[in-house]
Amino acid sequence: MKAELEAIQATALEALKDVKTTDVLESLRIEYFGRRGKLTDVMKGMGQLSKEERPIIGKLANEVRASLTEAFEATKTALESQQQEQQLHAEAVDITLPGRKPAYGKAHPVMQTLERIEAIFTQMGFQVVTGPEVETEHYNFDALNTPSDHPARDLHDTFYLTDGHLLRTHTSPVQIRVMENQKPPVRIIVPGKAYRVDYDVSHTPMFHQVEGLLVDRHVTFSELKGVLVSFARQMFGDQTQMRFRPHFFPFTEPSAEADISCTVCRGKGCRSCGHTGWIEILGAGAVDPEVFRAVNYNPEEVTGFAFGMGVERIANLQFRIPDIRTFYENDLRFLQQF
Amino acid sequence: MNVTLNWLKNYIDFEFSADELADRLTMLGVEVESVKQLGVALEGIVVGKVNSISPHPNADKLVLCQVDIGEQDALQIVCGAPNVSERMSVPVATIGTELSSGITIKQAKLRGEESYGMLCSERELGISEDAAGLMELSSDTSVGTPLAEALGLDDTVFELEITPNRPDCLSLIGVAREIRAETGNELKLPEVNIRENDTDIREVTSVTIDAPDLCPRYAARVIRGVKIGESPAWLKQRLESVGIGVINNIVDVTNFVLMEYGQPLHAFDYHKLGENRIVVRRAAEGEQITTLDEEERELTSDMLVIADANKPVALAGVMGGYDSEITDETCDVLLESANFQPASIRATGKKLGMHTEASYRFERGVDPEAVIPALNRAAQLIVELAGGTVCEGIIDVYPGKSEPIQIQLRSDRVNFILGTALEATEIEQILYRLGFGMEASQLEDSSYQVTVPSFRSDITREIDLIEEVARVYGYDNIPTTLPKGDIPVPVSDISVEVRKHIKQFLLGAGMMESVNYSFSHPNCFDKVRLAADNPLRDALKLRNPLSPEMSILRTTLMPSLLDNAQHNHNHQINNIALFEMSTVFVKGEEPWRIAGILAGEIGGGVYGDPYKNPDFFDIKGIVERVLEVCCLTDYAFKKTEEPTFHPGRNAAVLLGDRRIGILGEVHPEVLEIYELPYKAYLFELDLEALANAADFSKRFEPIPIYPSVQRDLAIVVDKEMQSDTPIDIIYSTGGELVDSVRLFDVYVGDQVSEGKKSLAYTITYHSATETLTDKDVNNLHDKVVKRLNQELGAELRL
Ligand SMILES: [Zn+2]
Repeated sequence: MKAELEAIQATALEALKDVKTTDVLESLRIEYFGRRGKLTDVMKGMGQLSKEERPIIGKLANEVRASLTEAFEATKTALESQQQEQQLHAEAVDITLPGRKPAYGKAHPVMQTLERIEAIFTQMGFQVVTGPEVETEHYNFDALNTPSDHPARDLHDTFYLTDGHLLRTHTSPVQIRVMENQKPPVRIIVPGKAYRVDYDVSHTPMFHQVEGLLVDRHVTFSELKGVLVSFARQMFGDQTQMRFRPHFFPFTEPSAEADISCTVCRGKGCRSCGHTGWIEILGAGAVDPEVFRAVNYNPEEVTGFAFGMGVERIANLQFRIPDIRTFYENDLRFLQQF
Repeated sequence: MNVTLNWLKNYIDFEFSADELADRLTMLGVEVESVKQLGVALEGIVVGKVNSISPHPNADKLVLCQVDIGEQDALQIVCGAPNVSERMSVPVATIGTELSSGITIKQAKLRGEESYGMLCSERELGISEDAAGLMELSSDTSVGTPLAEALGLDDTVFELEITPNRPDCLSLIGVAREIRAETGNELKLPEVNIRENDTDIREVTSVTIDAPDLCPRYAARVIRGVKIGESPAWLKQRLESVGIGVINNIVDVTNFVLMEYGQPLHAFDYHKLGENRIVVRRAAEGEQITTLDEEERELTSDMLVIADANKPVALAGVMGGYDSEITDETCDVLLESANFQPASIRATGKKLGMHTEASYRFERGVDPEAVIPALNRAAQLIVELAGGTVCEGIIDVYPGKSEPIQIQLRSDRVNFILGTALEATEIEQILYRLGFGMEASQLEDSSYQVTVPSFRSDITREIDLIEEVARVYGYDNIPTTLPKGDIPVPVSDISVEVRKHIKQFLLGAGMMESVNYSFSHPNCFDKVRLAADNPLRDALKLRNPLSPEMSILRTTLMPSLLDNAQHNHNHQINNIALFEMSTVFVKGEEPWRIAGILAGEIGGGVYGDPYKNPDFFDIKGIVERVLEVCCLTDYAFKKTEEPTFHPGRNAAVLLGDRRIGILGEVHPEVLEIYELPYKAYLFELDLEALANAADFSKRFEPIPIYPSVQRDLAIVVDKEMQSDTPIDIIYSTGGELVDSVRLFDVYVGDQVSEGKKSLAYTITYHSATETLTDKDVNNLHDKVVKRLNQELGAELRL
């Protein structure tokens, strides 16, 4: 009997080696452990053994059974993991097939620029204020100290409506409206559309501006410089240099135009900057006392500064679009680039 | 305006290089737009003298020249020009010179004879088109001199942009004054000595000003016996270098002095003036004059003219008259130097469409005190260049003489405005160099009584003086500091929030942002089939539009988006998903709108994510989400009759009872007008209404603790029934215990009878206070089914 058990163990272990599938394994399991299985049969024969033999053979039988069970389990585990592996292998995909990209829109490039400008000034404590685009001559020109025969008022420069109103030529009228309704301190920026009779590669009849105004008991020209230098560094990078040149605007005095070091050549001089190393980006100045008088602020009690910049121009320092009218064609091939 | 480096040096000394000067002027506010070196094309070309000529042994048409260019040995140069002659001074291109044509001169053998350079024609030098022969130079120029120098072309031209407040800079002397402010060097004004003849000018002419309001000053001199001719080279070169055409010696002198002093002058042929006298008056209505450009002009009574006893002889400050101009026969000249009121000149120039060097300056304002120096300077130059003698005396009618302006300047105010710490003496020094009279004020410490020079009509207030100090001190020298004042309390604006949230959502939903002009074509309303009585047709019109396409202000964003779709379709781009957020112009207000369009194909268009055609429910879904983004739930959709849309596929968006927008499938006729071959879906919402209703004050709601139970329900109803009718009944029956109702299927077909459809809902029952038992739910669900049957005739579909 002992020999029989050992033979069973040897053949079973041998048979297991050839098992390739779980189905074969199962039939082999039944062959040995089933109700009519080889091992079961041997166990059934235990009753015929002598009292002395029984415990010895019983122990051996249990050992064989345990070792075979273990061998079957091990084979099963091995087969299963092998099978899973095969399945995973079969499930492999061509990872170069296109991903299913969630839809994703893009803000208009001019708006992206405008939003960046707004964010920088908001962080410096400027409040965003808007106002009407259809304006009166009073707010657009008179209140801003523009002489009554100034060429900017011409039909060649300003769009007039048949009802006598005009389309604002800058967002500055909002500054006047704010000062009329608010006591200092005032710290605002005014983003929005403005209009001028102009249509060529560098001008669109509608464009976007951001103007700023800061009025308080004691605001200096040096602070104007500070705010704008800070803006330029955040907008165009830490290395940006800025210079201020005297200029003329009817509603500021002293007035300045501000240039930044050329973003293309970093100030060395190139075609983009006309070989000067500088690119003009905005106009600014201390608020003219006449403007304060027009809104009933006392220029001896408050001072302030104002600045204004063209958003398309600033956007184009980055994007370098040869014809800025392209901004308003809304060609999707264009919009997708930004 | 153009000035040149060498010319400027006639009026002030300075050591700046051209680039330095450009930089200094720019930083003073006299912006240099360009710096152009004259004569660069003439590098390597020198003045040579042909010493001797001998025949070329191998060529009939060529000769051998021995040319002296100031070096030890004369050069042998082979030349074929017909006009070459001994002792002629000519331009010589030396070996290595690159001509403007691109040819580089090399030592060469021409038909066997060595040639060490080239004698040049004007065309070969790029000076003119004259190629007939060698350019002949004046024989007194010394050999070896660079040609550029010999021709006065070794100069640099600066193109200046003068701001409208600085007409005083529209002259060489004006710019020299700015250099004086920068360097402190004194001006070198032209010295004028006029030898007058015995004839008193008052015996030969007179000046009457009938319109002193438009002509503050008029001065004249008479010069007799001039000989009209060509100007000398130096004068021609000066004028040409700044872009002024050369005419004859008299006119050239007036232009030269105009550039020097900024004072426009005019020379009349004395004998062509009726009664030889001048009357400054307003034109008679309809009076005519032929101006120098030979145009006949009809005048109006607000225009100022210079007339003789009978007729206008010049348009004051704009252009002279043709009949009294200087001609080759002119022998006596009446020279005008006058001052005119800017607004009048501006109006006349504008009305007649005339812009001249004179009107450009008078429009901006000319120094009335420059009248006499300029007149004398011109008279002297005329005598020098054209001969003749100057009659004794000047007629100077000066009704507009005014006292110099005095301004009080507080030096601490300068520092207060600029944020500087300038000493009073520094301020005094700067203003002094600018020509201001400075006197310590009797009234206040560190204050000045400042006298404004007559050429600075732009300075009338203390702030104007502060700007002067700032620009000469240098904007770059002013400190850079951050504002010290309090930051005003920000006011939050819900409409800004709403716009931001909606935009973020739409971008996330794959729509591209479009920005269109506010202008539109008046036919855009017809194109989108707006009803004749639709108030949106009431658009503001432009008086001076650029084109009909841009002649009204838009009242709705939808036509713009259709235009965008059309543009893209025309360029074979068909995945159109665009939105625009903008104000529109309605009834005197500028409310914000948000509009969007879906057309063509949406989706990735790739394997696994194919394109699909959008439909009504895509646009509706977007609008629903927009409303949810604004935290709005109380919205509804209702069919409309709007002709823009497919009559069965559109909806007004209602917020409570208020209509806040519209959406739908664009009507096929509109699609045809916009040449779109596929369906398009539009929405437009009133952002103001959304902002008014939006509520971002979010509050926590408890997460349900008791389980919910779901029951599906399929009912058969009339085909025409709206899918939300049963939903209303389900909610009203179940009350608080109905958590949500979701329509998951709509079926029309064989399985249901004709004229019917099946709607399938998932109802989620839930109680906030207990676990619902099956029995509870079954009872409730049965009730729902029963009411649906009673009220809608709905049959359960099993
Ligand atoms: Zn550059």
